[in-house]
Amino acid sequence: MTVFHFVLKRSIANKTSLLILFLFPVVAIFLPSGEYWPHLPYGYQYFGIFILFISLKLSGLILEDRMRGIAKKVSIAPISHFSYLAQNLLAYFSILILQCLILVYGGVLVGKELYQPFWLFILFITFSMASIAFALMWISFFRNKEISMLIFMSIISVIALIGGVLIPIELLPEILQKIAIMLPTFWLAWGIDWVVFGGELKEFLLVNGMLILYMFLFLITGSVKKLH
Amino acid sequence: MMRVLRTIPYTVIRMSRDYITLLLLLVVPIILITIFYFVLGDLKNQYGDPAFYDTAQLMTLVFQLFGGSIVIAHIQDDLFSPRRQRLMVAPMSRPFYALSISLCGMLYSIFLGFLLFLFTGIGLKVEWGNGFWVMYIIGLLAVLSSLVSLILIFAVKNFKLAERLSEVYGIGCIVLAGLFFPIPDYTVITFINEYLNPLLLAANAIGYAQSNLFPDAYIYMIRLGVGIVITFIIVFVLGRRKI
Repeated sequence: MTVFHFVLKRSIANKTSLLILFLFPVVAIFLPSGEYWPHLPYGYQYFGIFILFISLKLSGLILEDRMRGIAKKVSIAPISHFSYLAQNLLAYFSILILQCLILVYGGVLVGKELYQPFWLFILFITFSMASIAFALMWISFFRNKEISMLIFMSIISVIALIGGVLIPIELLPEILQKIAIMLPTFWLAWGIDWVVFGGELKEFLLVNGMLILYMFLFLITGSVKKLH
Repeated sequence: MMRVLRTIPYTVIRMSRDYITLLLLLVVPIILITIFYFVLGDLKNQYGDPAFYDTAQLMTLVFQLFGGSIVIAHIQDDLFSPRRQRLMVAPMSRPFYALSISLCGMLYSIFLGFLLFLFTGIGLKVEWGNGFWVMYIIGLLAVLSSLVSLILIFAVKNFKLAERLSEVYGIGCIVLAGLFFPIPDYTVITFINEYLNPLLLAANAIGYAQSNLFPDAYIYMIRLGVGIVITFIIVFVLGRRKI
């Protein structure tokens, strides 16, 4: 687990990134609640977008490795590509789990109305997995960290709007609602609705199943070994 | 002086070839405004005007807040990178060159705002009121955002940090204006929104002019102007030391 250890170290060694990583979930707890919509406080509603950005920022390390030739060195070192990738992703995932824990159970401690905190936590975890995989796929298209981040920002603002995170999906025109089903954020919004209103467990499993399916889809596309 | 003028066409070409900026400051707002056009449809606000008008106006102004990134990216490339040495041996005045880059960046940002204004005004039939007044306010906002970004790049040593801080300035203005979620009514926040938040100052200047309340519109315009004068003095003092 050497790679895991050092990826974790690199991710949180910088003071600014450490601040961003752990200050935001704490701030998000204290954001106000909406009047009619969203049903959860704003910090929880927008947390999906934050997860997407954080996973891209974290997986920028892999891109950096590729650009600086570290990937080449790793490929001749006695470590398999699978192990290198798995340990990287595991490190990002553990950071995200910690953030979800802070957000959800911090909210419970403060006394926010979260309906079913445990299922909300599970939902955020599966969404984190999908979004890390998405970030992995995303960086495989680019050779520059900055450009990948900037284009990602523009895509995310559109995805978040259509996917029903920023505004309720029922307001969108019919065509956009149909397109939205293809986006992971649509399933996150659905999952949040389930957490608030309750329902059959089957529905929640479907939501999480879809997110995990996305994870595999993105992982398969993103995990190709790349040596520039 | 003449030598600096001769570099301007190249600065313009460089800016127009920066496709990422074009994507972020023109294509994304157009997509977002179009989606809001479909979402809000015929919804009316409390005054009986279509709610979409306010949203489209605010969105157009919001993206002016990030126009400063154009200026600081070019200043960083030319004056705070190894290219600086080449400029130092070039027979032209560096302060003037920096000024020309800044002016080009501001004009480019205003031009993008103008395109958005045309798109919302003609394409989506948003009522803006007097077009010249609107462009004047958009211009003021673009200049102010560029000056704030310049202060950041002159005051902060690390370019990446300066860039992030300029984003914080933009996003902070949006959050304080209550576009993401309703902001509680603290006195401090109301004061900031009334006197300091450039986004709301510009929006109010346009809004009051639209309903023919020009005295109020002038007050907000003057507040924007005072902001520009103050930031310009700071930029002048900081920039003289740095460039």
